[in-house]
Amino acid sequence: MKQEQIKTLIDALAASDLAELEYSEDGSTLRLVKQSALAAAPAARRLAAGRKAPAAASAEPAPPAAAAAECLAPLYGVVHLQPAPGEPPFVQPGQAIEAGQMLCVIEAMKMFNEVRADAAATVQAVLVRSGQEVDAGQPLFRFG
Amino acid sequence: MFDTVLIANRGEIALRILRACRGLGLRTVVAHSEADSEASYVAQADQALCIGPSAPGQSYLNQSALLFAAEVSGAQAIHPGYGFLSENAGFAARVEQAGLVFIGPSAACIRTMGDKVSAKRAMRKAGVPCVPGPDEGLPEDPAAVQAIAREIGYPVIVKAAGGGGGRGMRVVHDQAALLDAMALTREEARQAFGNPEVYIEKFLLHPRHVEIQVLADSHGNAVWLGSRDCSLQRRHQKVIEEAPAPGIDDALMAEVGERCAAACRQIGYCGVGTFEFLYEKGAFYFIEMNTRLQVEHPVTEMTAGIDIVQQQLRMARGERLSLAQPDVRCQGHAIECRINAENPETFAPAPGRITGWQVPGGFGVRVDSHANAGYRVPPYYDSMIAKLIVHGSTRTDALARMRLALAEMRIDGIATNVPLHRELLRDEGFAVGGVDIHHLERWLQQRSAA
Repeated sequence: MKQEQIKTLIDALAASDLAELEYSEDGSTLRLVKQSALAAAPAARRLAAGRKAPAAASAEPAPPAAAAAECLAPLYGVVHLQPAPGEPPFVQPGQAIEAGQMLCVIEAMKMFNEVRADAAATVQAVLVRSGQEVDAGQPLFRFG
Repeated sequence: MFDTVLIANRGEIALRILRACRGLGLRTVVAHSEADSEASYVAQADQALCIGPSAPGQSYLNQSALLFAAEVSGAQAIHPGYGFLSENAGFAARVEQAGLVFIGPSAACIRTMGDKVSAKRAMRKAGVPCVPGPDEGLPEDPAAVQAIAREIGYPVIVKAAGGGGGRGMRVVHDQAALLDAMALTREEARQAFGNPEVYIEKFLLHPRHVEIQVLADSHGNAVWLGSRDCSLQRRHQKVIEEAPAPGIDDALMAEVGERCAAACRQIGYCGVGTFEFLYEKGAFYFIEMNTRLQVEHPVTEMTAGIDIVQQQLRMARGERLSLAQPDVRCQGHAIECRINAENPETFAPAPGRITGWQVPGGFGVRVDSHANAGYRVPPYYDSMIAKLIVHGSTRTDALARMRLALAEMRIDGIATNVPLHRELLRDEGFAVGGVDIHHLERWLQQRSAA
């Protein structure tokens, strides 16, 4: 993918009312997500639930198990998206994940509770900030 | 002489200190984190200052913020409570250097007792019985280490001089495992405590945890306020405490208590403190001293009839002890259950909103807590939300009262360990008294196997 091609896609997304755009060509995939789409999460989530046409052109096979569209916080606590400050996050948007893979850690009263993926999926969006308080049942990640 | 106290802690102990200050006519300033700004005890203080974000490292452990809070509020003394900075010699020294009163012993005393090897040496010198083993760090020479362990006799325990509270130790059952255990503990200690010094002691197989509460002024006087038994522990965390320790010969207890008071006089200790011992087969073995107020102090207050926190404040103000040893008369029996926001089966923490809060009451029942209906237990700190304390004329009386109190207690909205306490109070071994420190872990294993 050429740089100007990417810029064209960014402009196309910006001019549209789409929340995100996924483009595949020659085995490489580009995913663009609007910042405002994160804020307007509930509406965007409904749209994201169905698989879209560009996925057909993707070199990656479809996930073997149908993953839940979202990962919810199992308990009230403080979410940590990376193993330690300054280290890369456990997962990033666009990343394909496997069942059982660590997604984040929720800290409650000096105990660290691992949150792992139920099934294989692709991370579409991270819905929380590291260090943020999350309620039990609050959506943490959106999957494709 | 101070008239305003900065409370550098949170939760039930912040409220306990606030009440003691009130009783003495002292002004209170509560330093709190963002997570605790809505807590009811914060509103009860004469002044409240937010000292930082919710994470303890940025608030309750932030020394500069606390010193600044004292300065702007005009507090001349800082009460550290328990946990957080309460046994931090560096913080005590900074408070002293700022011309303020640290409500606790001197930084030098905290430093001596914080190093387990120097504490043991000081205690031996004062005639306090210690666990068999040298009161100095282990040498590097493997042959010398093996010789020391052989002389003590296996099993032995390798401990970090900078450790404490159950951290930084490893049990060794035979010579083959000794050197590896020493190297591992040394490395862990270097990383966890910044001090690689380790020492070894005889490992006792079935000890009880028995401790002595002391109270000392700055004029060379010290008394002991009776014993406590805190043998019911899970992962080195006390679950139920009682006073006095049951079934121990009074004369032996008095002798050990007097040794503790004498040790305080010898090291120039001021304030409240606790000497922790292992007790096995009729003998006491010193393990460590806590140079601060303890969670379980109320059981001693109930039996001795002394407000320990008020006394602590008076000692810090430079007052003379108003009581001599014969004035200390412990009566009846007291038991404390630590009520935690946790799953009673899995022990998973359970922070969240309390929707219903019904605490027991009546004759001989006391609840120390900062919580109430509508209170949201924050996820940032430890899980203890209340202490349920009862007093009875005898141990049997106190046990019966605790069973009734637990039956009356109802907390809705979050999981608590109240059901666990109800079960433990029906345990035959505990009811008889004098169980060892492994009793609760064994009990939990049997429960999960059933």
